[in-house]
Amino acid sequence: MAIRVNPRLIEDLNRFGAADVQMCYHCGDCSAVCVHTDDMFRFPRKSMRQLQMGLEKRLDTALEPWLCYYCGQCSDQCPREAHPGETMMSLRRWLINRYDITGIAGKFFRSVQTEVWTVIIMGLLTALAALGYHLFSGSIYVVDGPDAFLPSHIVHMFDIALGSVLGIILLLNALHMWSLTMKEGGEASIPWWLYIKSILQLPLHFFTQKRYAECITTKKSGLYMPWIIHLGLMWGYVTMLVLVMVFLPYLQKGPEIFWPAHIFGYLASIGLLTGVFYFIRSRLIRKYAQYHKSHSTDWVFVILLALITITGILQHIFHRTGLPVAANITYLLHLMVVVPWLLRMPFSKWAHLVYRPLAMYFAAVRKNAYAWQEKKQRSFSPDLQPI
Amino acid sequence: MKTCKTGVYICSCGTNIARIIDVDAVKEFSGSLPNVAFARTYKYMCSNPGQDMIVNDIREHNLDRIVVAACSPRMHERTFRKALQSAGLNQYLFEMANIREQCSWVHDDRPEATEKAKALTHAAIKKAELHEPLENMSVNMCPRTLIIGGGIAGMTAALELAESGYQVYLVEKQDRLGGNLARVDLTAPYLDSAHDLVTDRITRVRNNKHVEVHYQAKVTELKGYVGNFSAVIQNINGHSSETAREIEIGNLIVCTGYKEFDASRITHYGYGKLPNVITSFEFEGMLKEGRIVTKDGKVPDYVAIIHCVGSRNQEFHTYCSRVCCMTALKYAHEVKSAIPGCYVSDVYIDMHAFGKGHEDFYSRTSEVKTLFLMYEKNDRPVIRKAGPKDDCDMLIEVNERLSGEVIEIPADLIILMVGMEAQQDSAEIARLVNISQDKEGWFIESHPKLEPVATTTDGIYIAGTCVAPKDIPDTVAQARAAAARVHARISKGKIDVDAVYSEVNENLCSGCRICNTVCSYSAIEFLVSNQRSHVISAMCKACGVCVAACPSAAIKGRHFTDQQILAQLEGLLSPV
Ligand SMILES: Cc1cc2nc3c(=O)[nH]c(=O)nc-3n(C[C@H](O)[C@H](O)[C@H](O)COP(=O)(O)OP(=O)(O)OC[C@H]3O[C@@H](n4cnc5c(N)ncnc54)[C@H](O)[C@@H]3O)c2cc1C
Ligand code: HEM
Ligand code: SF4
Ligand code: SF4
Ligand code: SF4
Ligand code: SF4
Ligand code: SF4
Repeated sequence: MAIRVNPRLIEDLNRFGAADVQMCYHCGDCSAVCVHTDDMFRFPRKSMRQLQMGLEKRLDTALEPWLCYYCGQCSDQCPREAHPGETMMSLRRWLINRYDITGIAGKFFRSVQTEVWTVIIMGLLTALAALGYHLFSGSIYVVDGPDAFLPSHIVHMFDIALGSVLGIILLLNALHMWSLTMKEGGEASIPWWLYIKSILQLPLHFFTQKRYAECITTKKSGLYMPWIIHLGLMWGYVTMLVLVMVFLPYLQKGPEIFWPAHIFGYLASIGLLTGVFYFIRSRLIRKYAQYHKSHSTDWVFVILLALITITGILQHIFHRTGLPVAANITYLLHLMVVVPWLLRMPFSKWAHLVYRPLAMYFAAVRKNAYAWQEKKQRSFSPDLQPI
Repeated sequence: MKTCKTGVYICSCGTNIARIIDVDAVKEFSGSLPNVAFARTYKYMCSNPGQDMIVNDIREHNLDRIVVAACSPRMHERTFRKALQSAGLNQYLFEMANIREQCSWVHDDRPEATEKAKALTHAAIKKAELHEPLENMSVNMCPRTLIIGGGIAGMTAALELAESGYQVYLVEKQDRLGGNLARVDLTAPYLDSAHDLVTDRITRVRNNKHVEVHYQAKVTELKGYVGNFSAVIQNINGHSSETAREIEIGNLIVCTGYKEFDASRITHYGYGKLPNVITSFEFEGMLKEGRIVTKDGKVPDYVAIIHCVGSRNQEFHTYCSRVCCMTALKYAHEVKSAIPGCYVSDVYIDMHAFGKGHEDFYSRTSEVKTLFLMYEKNDRPVIRKAGPKDDCDMLIEVNERLSGEVIEIPADLIILMVGMEAQQDSAEIARLVNISQDKEGWFIESHPKLEPVATTTDGIYIAGTCVAPKDIPDTVAQARAAAARVHARISKGKIDVDAVYSEVNENLCSGCRICNTVCSYSAIEFLVSNQRSHVISAMCKACGVCVAACPSAAIKGRHFTDQQILAQLEGLLSPV
């Protein structure tokens, strides 16, 4: 059966950043240089094609965008300035929107105004809530303890509540991703034990992002940039998340430094600071292909992360140096960024922390499923597909 | 036996000849033959030192025959004839033995090849003994030129000649000039107006007193030979008072152009049945009117362009029509600028963007967001009417090669890029002016690379799309080239005709006219006055057919007489 194309898809993808995909004339250079493409998952040329043609059905179920680590090698090679790397990036943005069952992600990706205003309003509402609370209790001169301006047990509860709701949405979105990519996308039915067999892929890719390190440009950079930077940022982030979600009361105590918890905080801050500095700088100087084109959401993402990191560090410094008012104000600012950041979590680029390891895992399962099927019916021969 | 003093030169051609043939053995052998003064070998006979050697030897040793054993006479016969001339010897006292193409290049056994080379050289020596001094003939060149076809090619050639002051007859079968280009709106790749190109030329043609335009006319008869043709121009609409006119001309340029492929021959494109499937020419009409609309006057949301309609497949024509790819890109541009939100898909086989500025134009068309879809030559897209629920008029099913998917795309207007075909009456023209056609009906040039506008008939030139599909720049270049060739000949006033041709001995001729029928170049006329045949020497190519055919042995081939050929055979067959 012929697939009906969606002629308007490409215009929509334009808003997700795929501005140059029409320039591609399918020489295949990009697929030839990509280290991550293989016989089963062919990209970026094929993804470019599916997008150009508006094969929405194929893209919806594709894992390929997640298998690309945006090293930029393909964009450097493209003779037509079609920016295949950026197309893959745009497809990831678009997929985040497709997986999102609430439809909020699409609104953010499609309109910078919506996103920025949401962030600002959420920030202001946070401030309003905090000030409202302040009317009844708490003192601006107190940083920790029950009389604190923003007492840690309340913030902690709020964190956990918000985290859980959003975590559930993210989980549902991940389930949606599974049903799209594995049920609608995988032609073969997959037995459950194959899922078990590859389960270790999940933590492996989550904690190491090892494919990032395999990209040619990463290797060429000498210092494994930007993989190593991203690894530091990611570990810093995860550490911070654990500290905040589990150990917040210990962190809040002051002004003396509680080394067993704070040492992790310091290390995490170094990772976060280097990371945000590196990514913002790269996007400003635009030397490498992957930072040539910045979508508005890329900026919002790194800027918010930078603000969180900086306000967090400042709050810590003020608190430890005995400046409670300054500490409380920076803390309020910190929360004004953290809340919108958390609220955006499942709807933003950040969701890649779930989708990427999942995609690697699914890809492994699919490959095993094919091998298994092939063994089952020896005569099976997959059609030759264009690369 | 005739006595003479022959100089024999055996060329090594670098190693081309010497590698297989023992040139010294050939030299020893030829040097010992009667009438041969001496034989020499040299590395490159055609080089200046090689030629000088011949010139000096003729002067010093009073040689009166020269034989060069080297490459094909097609390569260097002229070169050596010139050498003879500059030494003061008649150029026809010369003979070449081809020991390269016909010997060293086709054999690998050295002793046998050497024997053959000796025999070939011997044959040439024997033939040269019987050569006689001959003089080239010079005939008048009529300065007027006939051009058939008033398209861009014909008008350009006409202007080129007329503006140098030479009289031109321009015969156009329609009632207007401009040909197919007059039907085109903007031109690819620079998007200049075709109208401007054409009207400028039409005005100049009409205002030039040296051009006599015959509208609605055809050339019905052509007689004579280069420099001295006579032609009949016939009015074909019948209204004109003067219906036929005979003119004298020296040269003729054929610029009859092309016609478009009939799209209804491809049934599953539905041309003629689906109202919104149109040809490129019909779309040009829309562009000229400035209104891109479907049959019911609606602005289309989806426009599809299908390439290679009638071109590049076994069923119709295997060749590429060369202009339609760029024309299709031009349409994409024009649709996008007229209807910015329109979805334009371009369904092609390969994108042929070889010309100047074409690749950039292709890139720019991608920039305006055209969807390029690739189909397989023998797996054409299928067009069908859309259903009531669809938001489009038609659907095109394409087996898309770059994605490996079978897809369906929407379309409200479909433009078929119809290819070019040889004109209906091209065979008639070919017969009239005595030129050949290829299997598709295009006229054949004398050499596809080195003689692109000349034909095998002297004085007849071809230019533009009657030779093969081409775009405007190539058409104009050819038209100017043909005009330049004609110009060069008429400015000389006379033309040299080779002294090698056949002659009828009127005393022996019985008037049977057998030779008239065998000559493929129509070089023999029958003189009614004395009931004898006569060879028009300027048209004779010296093929020798009539010489062999004449039952009265009345025809002599100058420079290849029976005696000469027999002597040649004798040399060839005598022991070496
Ligand atoms: C849809 C379309 C769009 C095009 N767009 C472009 C473009 O954008 N850019 C570009 O470079 N090229 C374009 N071309 C190509 C262009 O049309 C040709 O290159 C050009 O017209 C060739 O000119 P011509 O003089 O050789 O032939 P023609 O234009 O065919 O002229 C031949 C003339 O000879 C006359 N004739 C024919 N037979 C006889 C006869 N027996 N006796 C007397 N007269 C005769 C005809 O009536 C006609 O007037 C396009 C072609 C098509 C089909
Ligand atoms: C807490 C977890 C994570 C955080 C905070 C994080 C943060 C970031 C940031 C800030 C960027 C953007 C850099 C830029 O602006 O260019 C980024 C990009 C990237 N991340 Fe992560 N990341 C996390 C988890 C992961 C994981 C688990 C993987 C892989 C398995 C991963 C792979 C990538 C890749 C390949 C890019 C570059 C391409 C892209 O932007 O999509 N990340 N990450
Ligand atoms: S290198 Fe560029 S033009 Fe070639 S296939 Fe890839 S994206 Fe397309
Ligand atoms: S950006 Fe790198 S990983 Fe992604 S497709 Fe291009 S070459 Fe492959
Ligand atoms: S120029 Fe015409 S015939 Fe040639 S490939 Fe293009 S559309 Fe086909
Ligand atoms: S074939 Fe011979 S005899 Fe007959 S017409 Fe010709 S020249 Fe005369
Ligand atoms: S030699 Fe050939 S070309 Fe010449 S008149 Fe005889 S048949 Fe014709």
